[in-house]
Parts: sequence; C-alpha cells; structure tokens
Amino acid sequence: MGLGAWLKQSFPVDQDALIELTAEPIPNHLKRWWWALGGTPLYMFTVQVITGIMLVFYYVPDTDKAYDSIAYITYTADYGWLIRSIHRWSSNIMIASLILHMMRVFFTKSYKAPRDINWMFGVVLFLLSVIFGFTGYSLVYEQMSYWAMQVGTGIAGATPFVGEWIADFMRGGSEIGQNTLTRFYIFHIVLLPILLVMAVGIHVYLIRAHGVTELKFKGDEDVEKKTFPLWPDHVFTELIMVSIIMVLLLVLSILFPVQLGDPANPNVTPLHIKPEWYFFAVFRWLKITNLLVGVMGPMVFIGILFFWPFIDKFFDKVFPGKEVGFWIGVLGLLTINGFTVWEIFGH
Amino acid sequence: MDRRDALKNMLAFIPLGGAFAGITAMGFRFITPKKRDVTRRIFTMHLDELPINASRQITDLRGKDLVLVRTGEREVKAMSTVCTHLGCTVYWQKDNQEFYCPCHAGRFDKDGNVVAGPPPRPLETYHTEIEDDNVFIYFKDAEG
Ligand code: HEM
Ligand code: FES
Repeated sequence: MGLGAWLKQSFPVDQDALIELTAEPIPNHLKRWWWALGGTPLYMFTVQVITGIMLVFYYVPDTDKAYDSIAYITYTADYGWLIRSIHRWSSNIMIASLILHMMRVFFTKSYKAPRDINWMFGVVLFLLSVIFGFTGYSLVYEQMSYWAMQVGTGIAGATPFVGEWIADFMRGGSEIGQNTLTRFYIFHIVLLPILLVMAVGIHVYLIRAHGVTELKFKGDEDVEKKTFPLWPDHVFTELIMVSIIMVLLLVLSILFPVQLGDPANPNVTPLHIKPEWYFFAVFRWLKITNLLVGVMGPMVFIGILFFWPFIDKFFDKVFPGKEVGFWIGVLGLLTINGFTVWEIFGH
Repeated sequence: MDRRDALKNMLAFIPLGGAFAGITAMGFRFITPKKRDVTRRIFTMHLDELPINASRQITDLRGKDLVLVRTGEREVKAMSTVCTHLGCTVYWQKDNQEFYCPCHAGRFDKDGNVVAGPPPRPLETYHTEIEDDNVFIYFKDAEG
C-alpha cells in the first residue's frame, strides 16, 4: 500500500467537507483590515497560551517566593525578560483589539438578531480577558499587584447581598494571603483558559452558522461578486495581519520590556497607585462617587453592554428611525474616553 | 425502546442525580473559605511608652498596621490604618493633620472621621483596655 492510500484508510478525511468548510463565503468588506479585527484577540490568546505555559516553568505561586521567581525570570533566566514582556504586551494588545472589535460590531449594528446571543458571548469573552489581565497582574506579587488585589476584591466585596461571599471566595478568607495567590493562579492558568476556549468555540461556531453581516458601501453596487472565499483569500488577509501584529508585539517587547516594581508590602500602599490602562475609567469613577455607586456603576454598564441588542431593539420600537442606540453608544464611548484621559492626566 | 420507554427508564437514574447534586454541594462548601469570629485580647505596650497626645504605630496579628493614640491620662484610642473604602492603607500627613488614602484620595481627620473622598465610614477603632498601666486591645481574628 502506498503512503497516500494508507493515510486515507487509517486517517480518513472527508475531502468534500473540508472544501466546504474552508470555502465559507466572506463579504467583500472584510478585505479592509479594520473589519477583520476579531481574529487579532484570538492570535494574541494563542501567544498568551504559549508564553504563559513557558512562564509556569519557573513561576512559583507562593507569597514568599512568587516575587523572587518573577525576578529570576526577569533578570536571570535566558530571554526570560522577553517571554515575560511578550506575555504582558500581548495581553494589552488582546484587550485593545477586543475593544476595537466590539466598537466595530457596535457601530455597524452587527449585534442585531440573529446575532444577539453571539454579541453576548462576545461580552463574556471581553470580561474573561479583563479578568485574565487582573489575575495575571496579581501573580507578580509586587506592590501594584498586591494593592490591585486589595482594591479588586474590595470592589467585589462591596456588591450588595452577594459581595461578601464573592470577596471571601476570591481571597480564600477575609484577608489577602497565600489562599488568594493560589486561587488567582488557578483562575489564571486553569479555569479562565478553559472558559475562554469554550466561549471562543461557541463564538466562532455562531459566526459560521450566521455568516458575517453583509454591509453595503458606496461604490459596492456595481461589484458583481459580493463575497470571496475563506480559503485562500481571507486566510491571506489574516496572515498579513498576524505578521504585522507579531512584529509590533516583538518591537514593543524589546523596546519597552516589562519592569518589576517593589515586592508586595501589606502595610504600605504606594503613594502613586494606578491600575492597568483598561481599568483607568473605573478607577476614576471610584474616586468621584461614593462606594455603592462606585461599585454598581461598572456593573450596570456591563449589564447594559450584555443586553444591548435587546435594549437597542426596544429603542428602535419606541423611537423608530431616531438612531437612539447609536447616540447612546457615542455618549458612552466619549464618557469612557473622557474618564480615561482624566485618570491619565489627573491625580 | 421508544422515546417514552426511554424516558421512563431514565427515572431509575434519579438517585444518581441526587448523589451528584450532593457531592456538588459538598464541593462548593469545600472551596468556600472557612470563617470563625474570635476576639483576642492582645497586649500592646506599657503606658509609659505612650506619652499623652502621642501616637505609636504597631502591627496587629494579621500583619496590618494600626495606630495607638493616648487621648488622656488613662485613655488610649486604637485606630486601624486600613481605609474603609476598598482597603488600602492610609498615610498620616502632619501638615494638615489628616490621614490620606492614596488609592482614591480619601481623607480622614485625626479621630478617623471622613473629611473628603469616597470612604463610607470612619476608620475602624479597636476596643482598648488599660490594666496595671498595660494597654490591651481587643482584636477580631476572622481567619479559620
Ligand atoms: C493558558 C494561558 C495562560 C497561562 C498559562 C498564563 C500564565 C501566566 C503566569 C505564570 C504569569 C506570572 C508570570 C509573569 O508575570 O511573568 C502570568 C502573568 C500575566 N498574565 Fe498570563 N497566562 C495565560 C494567559 C493570559 C491571558 C489570556 C492574559 C490576558 C488577557 C494574561 C495576562 C497576564 C498578565 C497581564 C500577567 C502579568 C505580566 C507581568 O507583569 O509579568 N495571561 N501569566
Ligand atoms: S481605598 Fe482608600 S480611598 Fe479607596
């Protein structure tokens, strides 16, 4: 038996199904790269899995040793600084591209039925990614990590009714300590990856089931073929995007390698404390509101984002043709940007 | 086996479902941290070490700082330095006689009352007791 025949017999693949699977028609506008941002977070997640598993080779999730193990990765292990920097930068690009992707879907109203449930999975993906960032940041166990854990679990704890249970569950007790680090570690390297992979699976399945929303642009009318196939055309676009992003990731990691601050000190909050940039708006909000409003604000925001397809439908029914949803989106975006800029320059 | 029969046969697995639910509940209990409320009485310092109106910083059993202030001849106040907003530690600022929290700019006066910012409550105080010129505090230890 020839090699080819043997493979066909022992590892049968349905050729026709494969061709059908890869010939998914893609609307023409996805040739423009800014319509194809949804893939970027996924590539970044792949980078996270690979670099994350490498970091686990040296990282020790022990409150007495965690910081030293990161110091070892950063200063002693060969190329440890690079792996760590890629992991950090990739997490930032992952979240930034998710935000851009969500904005694209929002302002093209691509969340409308039948894609409403898929939008909700998108919001879940975003939340999982932010929690990924928060738990990963905490693992370093430097000053900023410790106080981010303190404030983060404090926010959870101030939620009405269920808050105390959630905060105790996150901390593994009523204080931050070894239990907290262990739990964050397990969230970061076991539970969140499983949840994220499942959610991405459903998200991509639903995209394939619905097809990408077709959008009409000026000048498109006379183009005959409105779609192009996934393979090879779209794969090619994506490959070009991946190459550009990978180069960007490397350049950022080499030029701006991630630093290591002072080790966690449970008695002294640093005078200048700031979270990661994607928490800036929330951080500023907490400064100008009382505790309950401060904590409930972001949760209500997430709730609105989650149920947005239905809220928007409701507005369309009550005020037909008024584009209320669009203007709420613009207002929301301006507010978040305003708060973020305020946090960057204010103190 | 038609669908009706199949459904009937499924009833036989109810005990299995029950056992599964029970184990799930136990697992849930297992990952929920244990808590107990124990109040301990701890010796802090001798009155001689704390002149009237002076304050001293000490560390409690959890390793968190707290401040002792002697407010009178036989009166000592013990105040936590943990911000009541979201749990950062406050700084004593001599110039304006205030505690300042760097996390969200909360401010407390020297008695721990909120002056500005988002903290919802005054700084926590501990019950104190003076016995034979020794200062004790009552401290709640919640760890299991
Ligand atoms: C299976 C996937 C992953 C594994 C095994 C993993 C593992 C780790 C480990 C061991 C650390 C501590 C070492 C260090 O800080 O350098 C870490 C840190 C971190 N992780 Fe992950 N990670 C994964 C995915 C992610 C994802 C998806 C994100 C973000 C969206 C993320 C964000 C972070 C951040 C921000 C840090 C702190 C980086 C630093 O300052 O060094 N991780 N991760
Ligand atoms: S934790 Fe002190 S002001 Fe927020």
